[in-house]
Amino acid sequence: MEKLDNLVVSSSPHLRSGADVEKMMWHVNLALLPAILLSVYFFGFRALAIIILSIAAAVVTEGIIQKATGKEVLIADGSAVVTGLLLGLNMPVHVPLWLPVIGSVFAIAVVKQAFGGLGSNFMNPALAARAAMLAAWPVHMTSYAVPFVDGITHATPLSILSGAAHGELPSYLDLFIGNVGGVIGETSALALLAGGVYLFVKGVIDWRTPTGFLGTVFILTWIFGGNAGLFTGDPLYHLLAGGLMLGAFYMATDYVTSPVTKKGRLLMGIGAGAITVMIRLWGGYPEGVTYGILLMNIATPLLDRYTVPRIYGTVRK
Amino acid sequence: MGRLTFQGGVHPIYRKEITNDRPITPIPAPAQVIIPLQQNIGAPPEPLVAVGDLVKVGQKIADTEAFVSAPVHASVSGKVVAIENRLSPIGKEVPAVVIESDGQAIPLEDLQPYPALEEMSPDDLRRAMREGGLVGMGGAMFPSHVKVTAPQGKKFELVIINGSECEGFLTCDHRIMLEWTDDVIYGTRALMKVTGVEKAYIGVEANKQDAIDILREKLGAEEGIEVKPLEVKYPQGAEKQLIKALTGREVPSGGLPVDVGCLVQNVGTTATFARYLKTGMPLVDRVVTVSGSSVKNPGNYLVKIGTSFGYILDYCGIIGEPKKLISGGPMMGVAQITPEVPVVKGTSGILLFDKKDVPVGEARPCVRCGKCVDVCPVYLLPVYLMDYTLKGMLHRAEEYHILDCIECGCCSYTCPSRRPLVQTIRMGKADVLARRKKRQ
Amino acid sequence: MRLWQVFKNGLLDENPTFRMVLGMCPTLAVTTAAANGAWMGVAVIFVLTMSNLAVSLIRDFIPDKIRIPCYVVVIASFVTVVDLLLKAYQPDIHAKLGIFIPLIVVNCIILARAETFASKNPIVPSIFDGLGMGLGFTVALTILGSIRELLGAGTVFGLRVMPAAFEPAVIMILPPGAFITLGFLLGLFNLIGKRAKQVS
Repeated sequence: MEKLDNLVVSSSPHLRSGADVEKMMWHVNLALLPAILLSVYFFGFRALAIIILSIAAAVVTEGIIQKATGKEVLIADGSAVVTGLLLGLNMPVHVPLWLPVIGSVFAIAVVKQAFGGLGSNFMNPALAARAAMLAAWPVHMTSYAVPFVDGITHATPLSILSGAAHGELPSYLDLFIGNVGGVIGETSALALLAGGVYLFVKGVIDWRTPTGFLGTVFILTWIFGGNAGLFTGDPLYHLLAGGLMLGAFYMATDYVTSPVTKKGRLLMGIGAGAITVMIRLWGGYPEGVTYGILLMNIATPLLDRYTVPRIYGTVRK
Repeated sequence: MGRLTFQGGVHPIYRKEITNDRPITPIPAPAQVIIPLQQNIGAPPEPLVAVGDLVKVGQKIADTEAFVSAPVHASVSGKVVAIENRLSPIGKEVPAVVIESDGQAIPLEDLQPYPALEEMSPDDLRRAMREGGLVGMGGAMFPSHVKVTAPQGKKFELVIINGSECEGFLTCDHRIMLEWTDDVIYGTRALMKVTGVEKAYIGVEANKQDAIDILREKLGAEEGIEVKPLEVKYPQGAEKQLIKALTGREVPSGGLPVDVGCLVQNVGTTATFARYLKTGMPLVDRVVTVSGSSVKNPGNYLVKIGTSFGYILDYCGIIGEPKKLISGGPMMGVAQITPEVPVVKGTSGILLFDKKDVPVGEARPCVRCGKCVDVCPVYLLPVYLMDYTLKGMLHRAEEYHILDCIECGCCSYTCPSRRPLVQTIRMGKADVLARRKKRQ
Repeated sequence: MRLWQVFKNGLLDENPTFRMVLGMCPTLAVTTAAANGAWMGVAVIFVLTMSNLAVSLIRDFIPDKIRIPCYVVVIASFVTVVDLLLKAYQPDIHAKLGIFIPLIVVNCIILARAETFASKNPIVPSIFDGLGMGLGFTVALTILGSIRELLGAGTVFGLRVMPAAFEPAVIMILPPGAFITLGFLLGLFNLIGKRAKQVS
């Protein structure tokens, strides 16, 4: 009986599923691999340098702050890597190389750790940092490059579409595979979709947010997007262009800053989609995905509060 | 026909193959049994014997006048050596009768089989249930005769026999359905008679196809009883989820199954009731699944009530480095601090796990992934309930229906940050109830 | 000795910006440059000291029920003086501070000092309280303005500090820059306050 002398006692359940936040984070990183590869293919090795710098800065900042505040250093959990990677993918290829570094430091130090670290940030760190960098160095952040063409352009498919820039509209095929101007990670709908499907299959993301997001953009741009009256828009173009795919699959689905309820997640997507379309069609900027998601991030606690599910055995009031 | 199920839930580690083909085997009675007086929810029975008394198998050793209670019986013949507080597997010290066995297992002389079902009235059957000391043997230990009594103004319409056995590792109900099939059916008919109901379902999870087959075969063309295969998902066997799966109805929040006309009874209890009616021997033994990575000879054993876990584990053999001893299933069972606790009427399993199978790892910060919300079979928001409990915001916890939590543990099981969700919610429920009491 | 305490109280222990978080509107709005912050502070020092003096003088004559309107009249008079003086001698600064000079009338620091200090204390301590609080406000706004100007334009008080290669972050002289900087400064002062408490 002495073998049973040092039993551990804990409250049930006594089993745990293998699910793990770290694994989920690495799934996200893996899902972005096609986008990284295509960005290097289209924009060259400078794109890779930007991504690596931004990831490194994010991880180092996270480690330093965790160490300095006496917390457990958890940089291996992959969350800082995701933030750095997403921010890197949101940079145009010609930005000065210090910019992704400052962006990542801002994302981790100000948006994430200042509010309590993983799980406590109220905005998606990568997106908030992108918005801050856009406000701080607007010229750098909007000087895009067209693949395989030297020189800088301010034209993206969306800015041409909205009339803010001049140029030939790229074809659907170029849009789909990513052979267009823009930040390095957003151009290829193909690569982003592939990663999105992977995340969905792995159960990392819920279908509701991306579906609500893309669906809303599709419907609203179809109704209001055309110059010849209602229902003359080109919704497919709006789906493929800009940062929509990147935002819908990888940023609006960020666990920490999106609702926990199913209905809330759907509303999150719809709201972000509606704001995106409003900015794209009637706003001052050609692209509105960033602000659409950030505004819905802020609305997340409210969405949770108003979408509490009906409890088993109760009648909805 | 699609498999019946409910919304939410998880697919835990089942590992039923360890014991599901091991027939029910009696374990020899131990030299001493510890029989807690209270083996039911409700009023504690008073001892009817004194230290030094000689008792026989099946002799009633404690009872009370109270309605919500059930008597207990001696499981061995021999001498009462002590009536004192002993640790029970629910984790509390409770008064218990300690009997030293004389090794003879002499049954009480006046135990008589009951007449055929047709010759008994519902009231006779209800009284028999109480006399037999029947309580819910799935683990809840609610007195059966109370359960079959519909409150004023309410009526039963359907009897549901719960053969889902959705917890991992446990196979005792599976074996009972396979080996005591006739008893299960007889017991079901008895329950239908008690409640005056024409229809009964036997809900069995689809991973027990052999049990479904044999029940269907033995039922043949018998009217009124139907075997319903259920999707394999935890907590399929929780009363409210089972009712939802089989009937689509929901038990109102704070209500009882009878509010939607259902009586849910575990197969083990049902079969035990039948055996009592057929032999007159009350509930003095039960089938217990002994399993886990530290058990040398796992199996389904017929064990005398009051046998200590240690005696059973010694009989089955211990291997490796045992670290955790659980009474019940891995999802809702209670971890034991010592193997000295006895088997009680609600002990469905004794699980002993090796060090390597005891999950370790610190809880990480919540990332709000919402997996706990997805799996909650009551559609609660465990992430918020835990948060509100920890912050002492009990009014919010109550508003978010913390008291509707069935403590199935799906949230903690599925949490990728290994957070103690259900464990914290349990504390929160106690706090909310205490606060309610204080305000009254 | 006590006067020094009163003065120090406003400057540090109860610094209106970093400890009491009062008067946030001008704090956030005018601190796009160090000079703007400093001038705003100077205007507040003048109004605060003078109104404290005046309120302390008349504190025994004002009926309790109408004391707030009386304070406002006193404060408004001095604000008008500052407004006209700045317009006459510092038209550039006056143009930059714009509406925020007249708005000093409703700055809660000034009303709060009149209500909690000047109306209960003799003249000399009231003057010192006004000076201390005003200086505390000035220092805070100057720090805030310096940081924002440094990062957002590369200069401090108009002097180039950063090397030529530095590319200013425009966001720092936009409203978000004010919030971010103030947030960090508040955090810093809380940390210092906490440390000081632990030591003593």
